Amino acid sequence: MILSDLLGLRAYAADGEELGRVVDARFAIAGPEDHPLRTARMLGIIVSPRSHTSFMGYERTDVNSPALLARWFEHRGRGSFLVLWKDIASFGGGRMLLRPGAVLYSPKLEPQDG
Amino acid sequence: MSRRPRIRRPDELAAPPRFAGRIVDAELELLDRQVFDPDSVQVTTVDDLELTDVDAAHPDPDAPPEILCLLSGPVFGTRVFGGRPPESRFERVDWAHVARLTTAVALDVTAEVLDISWLERWFRDRVIARIPGGRHDPE
Repeated sequence: MILSDLLGLRAYAADGEELGRVVDARFAIAGPEDHPLRTARMLGIIVSPRSHTSFMGYERTDVNSPALLARWFEHRGRGSFLVLWKDIASFGGGRMLLRPGAVLYSPKLEPQDG
Repeated sequence: MSRRPRIRRPDELAAPPRFAGRIVDAELELLDRQVFDPDSVQVTTVDDLELTDVDAAHPDPDAPPEILCLLSGPVFGTRVFGGRPPESRFERVDWAHVARLTTAVALDVTAEVLDISWLERWFRDRVIARIPGGRHDPE
């Protein structure tokens, strides 16, 4: 499987409500001290109700400059949310179906070092 | 006519959970990044990521996919028009070779030992090297 197999899929809640499109995938990268990037495991996907692609991620970070671009791209990405991998019921054929009771999380990224 | 997806207000979304490790969004911090070897030689760019296979019809909630390789290939057309290039058109760099993620991806092996740079090596050794002066730096 490649990442592009997931990006662009239309995401649906278990009750059939269309939620948006998969625009990104979030990974947790960890490993021992001598190789801290050893494992990159998918945490979940980012779904956007309006935009079809992820661009710059203004809606996920606290970056707010240049102000005009930041406001425009944040507006485009408004309403985006994170769905954890465990809440994905199936995907394929251009669709991704979430499990009943799937939780929609804020897509905000915490500032990190390195 | 289908309705457009509803835009949820920030207060309708749960607080993001905390996870161990470095959190990376692939589109923001991996795709389209340049890849360099330890000698700062550019190796390729990240066009896509190869993940471990999962059962798409019944994904195991306890076994999320992991990144296996950085992929490089002819993705311009498929990004614009959809679809995906055949597997054989992708060149791969094992994720195990990724040493650092900054504004670029740094590898812990030189480009010389990676299959992805074979064409450049072949061209250097078989074509450029036969041109007078082609075996040393300009003076």
